[in-house]
Amino acid sequence: MPKSKPRVAFFEFTDCEGCQLQVANLGLSLLELTKVVDIVNFREIMSEQGKNYDVLVVEGSISSKHDEERLRAIAAKAKVIVALGACATTGGVNNLKNLKSLEEQKKSVYGNVIDPVPDALPTRAIDEIVKVDYYIHGCPIYGPEFLKVMECILLGKPYKVPQYPVCVECKQNENICVYEKGLFCLGPVTRAGCNSWLPNYGNVCVGCRGLIDNPAANAQKDILEKYGLTVDEILEKFSLYCAGKKDRAKYEKEIKK
Amino acid sequence: MKHGIILKSDMDQWFDSLKKRGKVYGPKKKESAFVFGLVHAFKEMSLSYIPTILPPKKYYLPPKESLFKFKIKPYEAAKATTAFEEFILFGVHTCDIAGIQCMDVIFNENPADPNYLSRKEKITIIGIECLDYCDSYATCASVGTHIHKGGYDIMLTDLGTAYLVHINSEKGEHLIKGKKYIRELDLETRKKWDKIIEEKNKKFKNEFKAELPEVSKVFEEGFFSPVWEDVGKRCVGCTNCTAVCPTCYCFDVIDDVSLNLSDGERSRVWSYCQMDDFARVATGEDFRPGRGPRQRHRYFRKFKYSVLKYNKYFCTGCGRCTRTCMAKISLKETVNGLLDEKRGKG
Repeated sequence: MPKSKPRVAFFEFTDCEGCQLQVANLGLSLLELTKVVDIVNFREIMSEQGKNYDVLVVEGSISSKHDEERLRAIAAKAKVIVALGACATTGGVNNLKNLKSLEEQKKSVYGNVIDPVPDALPTRAIDEIVKVDYYIHGCPIYGPEFLKVMECILLGKPYKVPQYPVCVECKQNENICVYEKGLFCLGPVTRAGCNSWLPNYGNVCVGCRGLIDNPAANAQKDILEKYGLTVDEILEKFSLYCAGKKDRAKYEKEIKK
Repeated sequence: MKHGIILKSDMDQWFDSLKKRGKVYGPKKKESAFVFGLVHAFKEMSLSYIPTILPPKKYYLPPKESLFKFKIKPYEAAKATTAFEEFILFGVHTCDIAGIQCMDVIFNENPADPNYLSRKEKITIIGIECLDYCDSYATCASVGTHIHKGGYDIMLTDLGTAYLVHINSEKGEHLIKGKKYIRELDLETRKKWDKIIEEKNKKFKNEFKAELPEVSKVFEEGFFSPVWEDVGKRCVGCTNCTAVCPTCYCFDVIDDVSLNLSDGERSRVWSYCQMDDFARVATGEDFRPGRGPRQRHRYFRKFKYSVLKYNKYFCTGCGRCTRTCMAKISLKETVNGLLDEKRGKG
């Protein structure tokens, strides 16, 4: 008698649901996955809604009181918690909201009206509220990495997020360094794991997976300055995806000196 | 025959005869750079090229190489990967052949590495001699790799309208056997060849400010040099220098299990001393923290440790590390910096 399959549920918060779409687009691999897990909640591909699950996959960041309560409630039922995508793992682009005070942001979005979102809070990654067991970074996530993490969950072993920069994968793919084309790329300070997805198509890395643990922020700044960027412009490049609390701490101590 | 001559107009038919023996990989243009890749026709190759992004090392020690496959349910003893393909590497620079010779030393060391050696056995190398510098980053003259010293099956030297074909092995002999269009080197062409080599030797000059024994000495004394501090400050930690080096051979071993949780594969993947967690162990202790010490380690692996252990410099002067460094850390400047420092003191 085979053991019963682990039940997996997907939930979303403040996000675009693009990471779940990446999972839905896995094609044959998704069908393979359903042989070993029961997907009980995933609104992009099914209408049933299971109430009980073992593995909770959370997409999106937490940006209201209601979100926070809901996350705590759904997390309490899970044995394993997975943060899916940049919004969940680091706060992602939603962190831009935190660059100004809530009042200022509300004013610029809604104008001078009575507060339509009294419930709103500054954006947080989900690990600022619940303990996360697995991180799948990226905006969007990279499908093969999602499968690798699922494999680790099923085997009960940890998944090690690469601590080396995107350059490692980019070089192994023998891409022409975009710096040679005069473009500014965050690859040297950004976590790998996406198989240098953007540079493979001639684009620059925008840092969506967040910074490596010890980015050489100053050395990176020196390089970007050679390309004529000011410190503010460089910080702006970091801020699209790396404005979360943890990422800011990594570069600010070096750059702002 | 030891030395033959082949007209350039006959290269197409010779190349086609090579294809019958197996796949041919050669240098091809990729945007502003070059890469080794599968070649179907002679004209697809660029034989006048600056060193490729990755060295031909990728064929001897692939970035991700399957070691064996295993099965958990039901358990099946793993069987090592033993089938390797026969192929030809065409147009390999002498510096890269020197790199492969370094790898040979490493993987032949007891216990010898069967994967590497089995692959090597199946690879035929047709080299191409450089008659001038590829660019200003190369430091091949300093380590003498602009001149070939074995490690290939055939070496081609451009003589204008023809190539000189130096046959250096039985494998090489097989590739020219029965080819009527490859004729024996005659006296007149020999003179022409001598002249070309004389011209070549005028162009290559030691790029370091001292000869190798002195370089080796400054490495012995320069462990605490401020040069490393400066290099460490500029290093962004991208790891590119180690990725493109023809003599870096560090690897990690990983297991991948498929979603059926039974079939798996063990592979070895490239790993670099420039990675942040390369020297970190289970307790969290990092034996080589910081980018300065890591860069120093990379240099010492090329100019000191290998000399002590194998009596061999592990820098081939290909210039790849300098070419690829976005922080513009230059091997030539670093080595000359150490030399300057010592001379300043003296």
